[in-house]
Amino acid sequence: MLSVKNLTKKFAGKDALKGISFEVSRGEIYGLLGHNGAGKSTTLGIILSMVAAGSGEVLIGGVSVQKNPRKALQKVGSIFESPAFYDYMSGWENLKVLVGLSGPFDEGKAREVVERVGLTKRIDSKVSAYSHGMRQRLALAQALLPEPEILLLDEPTDGLDPEGIKWFRDFVLGLREERGMTVLFNSHLLSEVEQMCDRVSIIRAGELVYEGAVNDLRDDRPTLKITATPSEVLTEVAVRFQGEQMSGDRWVFPEGTAIPELIRSLVEAGAEVEEVTPVRRSLEDVYLEHSSLSSS
Amino acid sequence: MMFLRQLKGELHKLFARKRTYIGYVVFLVFEALLLTLWVQVGRDQFEALAKRNFVPVELLSSSLTATYWIMGFSMFLLGSIYFALVSGDIVAKETEDGNMRMVLARPVSRLRILILKYCAVIIYTITFVIFVGVTGYSMSLLAMGSEGGLFIWNPDMYILAIYPDREEAFWRLFVGACFMGLSMCVVSSLGFFFSCLKIKPAAASVMALSVFFIDFVLQNIPFLVNYKDVFITYRMANWVYVLQENIPWDRIVESYSILMGLNVSLFILGWMAFQARDFKT
Repeated sequence: MLSVKNLTKKFAGKDALKGISFEVSRGEIYGLLGHNGAGKSTTLGIILSMVAAGSGEVLIGGVSVQKNPRKALQKVGSIFESPAFYDYMSGWENLKVLVGLSGPFDEGKAREVVERVGLTKRIDSKVSAYSHGMRQRLALAQALLPEPEILLLDEPTDGLDPEGIKWFRDFVLGLREERGMTVLFNSHLLSEVEQMCDRVSIIRAGELVYEGAVNDLRDDRPTLKITATPSEVLTEVAVRFQGEQMSGDRWVFPEGTAIPELIRSLVEAGAEVEEVTPVRRSLEDVYLEHSSLSSS
Repeated sequence: MMFLRQLKGELHKLFARKRTYIGYVVFLVFEALLLTLWVQVGRDQFEALAKRNFVPVELLSSSLTATYWIMGFSMFLLGSIYFALVSGDIVAKETEDGNMRMVLARPVSRLRILILKYCAVIIYTITFVIFVGVTGYSMSLLAMGSEGGLFIWNPDMYILAIYPDREEAFWRLFVGACFMGLSMCVVSSLGFFFSCLKIKPAAASVMALSVFFIDFVLQNIPFLVNYKDVFITYRMANWVYVLQENIPWDRIVESYSILMGLNVSLFILGWMAFQARDFKT
């Protein structure tokens, strides 16, 4: 559905993208992860033809964004982090103006979508009176009109309260479920990516440093938080069990490591063990590992 | 059909803003002020001048003459400011506010977006000039009645014309107002061009006004009097030739061809700059 091929881009002589490539299949929710300034928004900008690529190509449904942007973008709906509407106009007027740029404005369809995003009561109010959450719902409505096949979401849940984030997540997952919508989700909120995406890419300094299924990215090796003194004894025993110190008092051990035996060994070696707690490694840990690995 | 619908949307955006109407309100007040000054002070001086030149005062000290003075004085100085403000905002403000990203995410070419915006600005400009003409004339009618013809005296353009026939005078003034509207499109085109660049909306308006007023000042320097033809503001002032008894159409066509060429050039330059830009947060 979406094919990004070897994108490069320079801003003021500095490389912003260094050959990014990835593919998103129909009905897939694909996450783009990266620090601020990593190149996620530039990638999205090139996909939407707002930023000119230095080289490379983007195909949406087989149509080149670089060669035929109008046709390629007909299948796309997009939402940005802070959707900027015309504040002095109502939500409905905003929809009419924006959707009218894509083609005829179908009022019935628009009313349906507005109802679906839960804005029916406030759609005739001026956007200046909208909360951030309501703006994001309006952004979702305009992205879904007319019917897109792929949604590009650029950090859409930033600034939303937990309830809003959950609503947004459920809504997007529902779209995939009902319509088989393809979604490219650009975020630095790892928990969101973890809960929504099928596959994920990690971009660092304009380079793609990891691509794979979210489940593959998770590391199932046992991770323990160990507080024991003296630290030399802890290190000696942990290394004997082939442990790797991750950060501070966190240690990762090979799959199948016998934890009771590890604790017993620590005690027998004379360590005073205060705490041994299993820790579930989050996507964040893995993300940071990949980021730091690539930088080193 | 689609273009007209999109243009309607663009005009809706322009006219849904409260500040678009500030210009209209200010102009109404300014017109009322000019008319009051004309009735209280200007008319006596004008009548004295007319008598010295053996011009039939009772026919020419009229609402049409007052309308001519109101339009001539208000439009070039005050009108240019509003046109520069509105046209300077038209692209740059949307870019600054982030609306442009929402627009560009749609399957519509940048050229089409700019054509829509340019058309909206030109429509605003021409309708604004007509508004000033209509309201100026209406106020003058109320203050001075519907009698009398038109007296034109413009030493800068070497025009002295008398139209005792009110119908002819009215149509001359109406056509003149239309040409004045076309002239003012140059200010809007300047604002539009600067608005397409990567600068703040206020900077775009200031740049447009700077170009306009520098040209105006240079045009009025006495030792450059033989080079008046090269200045934009002089060409813009050629609308007044419609009020000359024998209309010099060759001169008018030449001037408006130059102004039209300038408008088209400014649009193309603006489009080229806009097309080459990256839009990113």
